[in-house]
Order: sequence, then C-alpha cells, then structure tokens
Amino acid sequence: MTKYFLYRLLQLIPILISISVLVFLMIHLAPGDPVLLLMGDEGTYEDYRRLQELYGLDLPLYQQYFRWVGNALQGNLGISIRQGAPVSQLIFERLGPTFELAIASVILATILGIPIGVLAAIKRQSFVDFFSMIFALIGVSMPPFWLGLVLLAYVSMNVGFFPMFGREGSIVGGLWIFLTSFNITPLYDGFRYLFLPAASLAIAMMAIITRLTRSSLLEVMGKDYIRTARSKGIGEKVVIFKHGLRNALLPVVTIIGIQFGFLLGGAVITETVFAWPGAGRLVVNAIIQRDFPIIQGGVLMLAIAFTLVNLLVDLSYALLDPRIRYQ
Amino acid sequence: MKKLLTVLILLSIIALGWSSLVFANQDRIIIGTAAEAVGLDPRMETDIYSGQRIYVIMEPLVIFSTEMELAPRLATSWEFNDDGTKITFNLREGVKWHDGVPFTAEDVKYTYEWILNPENQSPNRSLYVDIIEIEIENDHLLHFHLEKPNSFLLNNLARICIVPAHHGEEADFRENPVGTGPFQFVSWSRDDRLVLSANQDYWGGAPNVDELEIRPIPEDSGRLFALEAGEIDVYQDQPIPEEIARLEEDPSINVQRIPGTGYRYLGFNTTKPPFDDVLVRRAMSHLVPREGIVDVLQEGLGIVATGPVPAGLPWYNPDVPRYDHDVDKALELFTEAGIDLDEAVFNLYSHEDPAFIRIAEIIQFEASRIGLTIRTHVEEWGAYWSRLQTPDHPYEMYLVDWFGQVDPDRAMYRQYHTDGARNFGMFSNEELDYLLEKGQTVPPASEESISIYNQAQEIVADQAYYAFIHYYEEVGLSKASLNGFTPNPFVSMTWANAHLFYKE
Repeated sequence: MTKYFLYRLLQLIPILISISVLVFLMIHLAPGDPVLLLMGDEGTYEDYRRLQELYGLDLPLYQQYFRWVGNALQGNLGISIRQGAPVSQLIFERLGPTFELAIASVILATILGIPIGVLAAIKRQSFVDFFSMIFALIGVSMPPFWLGLVLLAYVSMNVGFFPMFGREGSIVGGLWIFLTSFNITPLYDGFRYLFLPAASLAIAMMAIITRLTRSSLLEVMGKDYIRTARSKGIGEKVVIFKHGLRNALLPVVTIIGIQFGFLLGGAVITETVFAWPGAGRLVVNAIIQRDFPIIQGGVLMLAIAFTLVNLLVDLSYALLDPRIRYQ
Repeated sequence: MKKLLTVLILLSIIALGWSSLVFANQDRIIIGTAAEAVGLDPRMETDIYSGQRIYVIMEPLVIFSTEMELAPRLATSWEFNDDGTKITFNLREGVKWHDGVPFTAEDVKYTYEWILNPENQSPNRSLYVDIIEIEIENDHLLHFHLEKPNSFLLNNLARICIVPAHHGEEADFRENPVGTGPFQFVSWSRDDRLVLSANQDYWGGAPNVDELEIRPIPEDSGRLFALEAGEIDVYQDQPIPEEIARLEEDPSINVQRIPGTGYRYLGFNTTKPPFDDVLVRRAMSHLVPREGIVDVLQEGLGIVATGPVPAGLPWYNPDVPRYDHDVDKALELFTEAGIDLDEAVFNLYSHEDPAFIRIAEIIQFEASRIGLTIRTHVEEWGAYWSRLQTPDHPYEMYLVDWFGQVDPDRAMYRQYHTDGARNFGMFSNEELDYLLEKGQTVPPASEESISIYNQAQEIVADQAYYAFIHYYEEVGLSKASLNGFTPNPFVSMTWANAHLFYKE
C-alpha cells in the first residue's frame, strides 16, 4: 500500500511537468499582453519596454519557462505582475475558503444524495422513485450561476438568516473558538455565510450522486451474491446496506472525487455570485489581466490538489471493496 | 434520518430567532464594489477600483469637485509663474499622517520624485515628465519647476495621492498604506474586504461613522440584491440600465445621476482603406443611431455624444458638425466616395461587454439597410485592449470607450495628436497637432484656451475620426438612509469625502 502510494506520488512529477508546459504555452501564445493591461490608460512605449524587461517578458519563451521552473523548484512561484505580491501568498490565502466551500458542498451532496438514491432504488417505480428522479433531473439541469441568483433573490431576500454575499471566518476556526471559549457566534456566522453557496453547488452534484447511486444499487441488487445473501435468510436491511450499497458505492465514490476536484478550481461562478473569496476567482481574474505568474502558480496548485484527491479516491476503493489490493 | 431532520429543524429555529437580533449598524458603512483593488499604492495603481479606495485613505494636493473644478486638498492654494514653467504650492498646515507624524513638503517631493525615477517602474510616470525639479522653500511651501508650460499638469497632479516619505519605502506599503485621508487602514484580505477606521484627527473634521468597509461583490445582480436587502449602503459601478427606472421609484434607494467624464465611440483606423477617406468615416457616422442607443439600449442612461470633450466641461463645444442618424445621407456619402456597397465588406470589432456587442449589431443592421455588409467580431477584453495598442493593429473599425476625460488635453492630445500615446486611429493632422500643442501652453481657464479647444473639437468632428456614441452618466446608488454621499464625475474620487457620510 505504501509502495503504491509512493509510486503514485512519483507519477505526479511527469503530470505536473506536462501541465506547467501546457499552461505556459497556452497563456503565452494567447493574445493579450500583461504589461499593456497593467498600464491601462497611462504610460508610453518607453514605459512599456521597461516594464517588460522588469518582468522578464522580453526574454525568449524557453528562457522564461526555465527561469520560472527554476524558481518554482525552490518554492518560489514568483511575484504577481499586477498586484506585486508573492504568488504563493496570494494562493495560500484562498485555499482555506476554496476547500471549505468544496468540502461543504460534497458533504451536503453526499449526505442527501446517497440516501435519496438508495430510497429511489428500493422503492423502484414508486412515487418516491418518480419524484426523486424528477428532482434529480431538475437539479442537473440548473446552471449554478442561475441557481445562485435564485437562492439570493428568493431565499436570502426573504430569510434574513442567509446573507447576500461574502464570508465571515472559517468553520474550522469557528469550531475552535466554540470549543475553547464557548462562543458560538463565529461558528454560527461561518455556517450562515457558507450555506447558500455550498447549497447552490451541492444541488447539481447531489442530483448526479442520486441518479448514480440508484442505478448502481439497482444493478448490484440483481447480482447473484445478493440472491445468495437473501436465500441465507439475512434481513433485507442488511442485504441492502452491507451487501448491496457497499458494492454499489464504488462508482459513486469515483464521481464524488472527480466532482470535488472540479469544485477546487471550477467553482468560480458560484464564488463570483456569492462574492466568496476563493481560488477560482483569483485565477480567473489573473487570466483576464494576463497575470502570468498567478495563472501558472494557481493552475499548478489546483492540479496538485486534483491529483491528490484522485489518489485518495483510488485508495478508498480498497476500503470499500476488499478484493482490491494495491501493490 | 429522523435524528438528522430533528437537528436541522432545531438549527433553523435557533437561526430564525437569532436573525431577528441582527440589526443595522449605525456606526459602520459598507460599500459593495464591482471589483477588487489591485493594490493601495497611489504611485503604482492605474485602475479605478484601487483609485476609489486610495482616495479614502490618502489625499492629493488638489482634487476635483463634483462640478469638475479643481479644489484645494493638501494644497491650500497654488500659482503659476508668468511663463507657466513654475507652480508654487502652499500646503495645508496641521495635517498629520495616520501615525501622527506631521505632513510636510518633503512628502510631496518624495512622492513625485519616486514616480519620476524610472527605476521604480511606476506606470503613471508619463503624466509628470514635464516636472524637472521640485524645490522646497519650507515645510509648507514648495515649487514645481517645469521643462515647458503644461497648463493641465494640475489635473494630472490631482490623479495621484501623496505618500508619506517615512513609509513609502516599506515593502508592504501597497497592502498596508498610511495616509492623511478621513479613514485609516485597518486590514485588507483580497476579494473579501478592506476595513478602514475613522481618522479622528482628520483636518477636515472627524468622520461621522467609526468604520468603513469596502467589499468586492463582482456579480451586478448580487450587489444590487445586497443593496436592496440593506446589507450594503452603497452600490459601486454603473447599474444595469434595465434596473434604473425601478430603482428611481424605490423610496428606500437614493439614485443620483450626474454627467460623467467618459464616453463610448466607434473608432476608425485611417491606415486601412477606405477609412482614410473622410467621406467614408462621415457616412459611417451617419449610420449610428445615437438617440436610439441612449433611449432603448441604455434606458436613458447617458447623453448623446458630439465630440471628445465631455458635455460637463467648460471647453465643451456643442456647435461642431454633427452626424445625425440618416441612412440616406450615408448612402449618398458612400456613393460619393466611390464605395460599391454590393461588393464592400467592412469589419467591425468589439470586446465582450454585452452593451458593446449590441451596439455592434445595431450598426451592422443599420448598414444592411443600405445594402452594406459589416462583419462583426467579438474579442476577449485582454486580447482586444492589447492589440488595439500595437502600432499596426488589425482593427479597421473598433468599439471602445474612454474614462476620466477631465480636461481637453487629456481628452484629445493622446488620442488625436500624431505622436499621441493612444492614437489608435493613426490620425495625423498638422493643424490639429498645432492646436493641441498650443493648448498646453495657455492658461486653462482663459478665453484663448477655450477658443483653441473649440477649434480642435471642430476639426475632430469634421474629420469624423471617431463616431461618438454617447457620454456616460455617473450614477450614485445608495440606501436612502445614507446621507452626505454624492457621486463624482472623476470616478476614483467618489468616496474622497467619506468623512461626511452619516446614517439615519
């Protein structure tokens, strides 16, 4: 298992190299000049040349790339062209909010999605099944930005409990304060601000999980070993949850992992609608402003996170299905 | 499952009870903005989002009033010498930096010398290159020596706030600034909030509220919801035109509209035939339905544009040649220019802003009425703006806008002078060059200045270098309970008087 883990970590190296080359080429070959965008309405051609030189943008592409790799290997992701701050600091500030939102959405989607999926599968062809599948269809079909605005306009506007925008401290921090000084306000605020953005992301994911759990469970319940289990006289609940669901969860876990990976970098629309200070907004703004160091560093960090999440998913297979062993 | 439900129900009961305890804070004003600042160092920033925050924390020597006149700020008075090569400033006495150190002429000299030093890479440097020496006479009196007369240098000086010499070299000044303004820096977390507290020693009087919070809320609808729900007190940026009528009727919202300093236009590239022919440019100008764009697309938000100088400025010349929307006249001019409308295909470029795309489509439709084919191309902003600034850019007709046109020099020299830094149309007109150079040497408020720029505007309009579409209006959107807030035509200075804001 450890060996497999290390092997997978080593695999990260070629992946990261390819991603960094790809990102580097894409942003440099796309039209748009960071210095011209930085200067905005001001500046002359002379200023332009000086700034280009300052950021090393006048060097040949390959030199720029190796300079960046050299620095990155020493843990230095460079300085933001636009904001003048270290890229690692800018990204680090965003990781907390990003992970918090992604984890909250995944939890919300999973604790609702799997039970509904199971229910739909057991009560197949019933009203429960029918309604949960209609609900799932609607959930998958709603674009998150629209759903976000609808939640703001109808839920937040009418229920003062849910704020319109922003974030007030982290849930983890709030929990710590609650446990150490019995002050629930920070935790409570953290929850109030997190709920709607997490819900708007969770609904589509929940719909996918529900549908997948249902179809996967239905398939498993038709297997021979389920018939065997039943014929041994095992209670229906045990058959469903121990024999059926556990085997049905493999594809569900895979999808949850992939969705979680996407949320780390792809929640930018929800972050924008709810003014959530996450990494997606940082990287998208950097793309608009052609702030190359932030784009490169941000994509690299997200790629690492995505790959690690995938690794965890693969490892979790072994827990769910004892037949799977990693060597 | 049952347990979970019980917990959820309990939580929501607690929540509802709690939310009734949440009430508006009288001592704090929250401003919701469309975007985050890039940084907070006036020497380095060029965008309005940074500018707006900076002007609350720091102050320039002179500032624009809401009527676009120069008003004293850190300087109490100023005087040009006879040949316009020296400006003398009297500085305000008794002003202190937020750390208690007195503000002196040293700080002014430091700020401008820092910007002028090429090693510091300030993108704002070109605004001040006419300054050759800054001479301090005493702590509150100093002279700017200029290489040549520059009538509008004061307007450029208004664009930059003064930085404290004793903090300016700190590496984190851009994220942790010290100023003389009505509010002082407390904390900043990017894309989340900038927290400022009242400067009790402010020379203009202590602010009415204790705290000012500036929060970026990028989505327009989300920001508007937040204003309507009372979670923010001020909505920054232009509202969506479709919302303006509804907001003006809402008694809980205060809508203030004033003429702005920017405009939208259709530009021509005179190096790309047939746009080197003034007849073609005039014909295209006749194809633009300005009134329709303002009335329908903008829902009345804007003023029909006639030339490069915004309508609110004293140099504005209303008597320039105008190009009313008239497709027959356009057809006549195209024929006179020898354009075969069945054969000709023009290319019109726009960036991705939906309003600009719709204007492009409107012009395309108007052209189709006389059988002219226009192909529209939409490009992403970063690529568009970068390309437009390259000397031989590919755009023959392009839609874009200008902001901050606070004087006729700013509004014309860069755009129309042969050597202008933003002459995207590659215009070159000797008479115009002469006038624009002359305008820089005569006192700005004089009859002569007005006459020079009246002539210059006539040439620009006559030559139809741009098809002007509409001037912007600046809209101040705030809760009716907020008092003392007025929008400023120079957008960066919108909250410069934040010490006067108070809540009822």
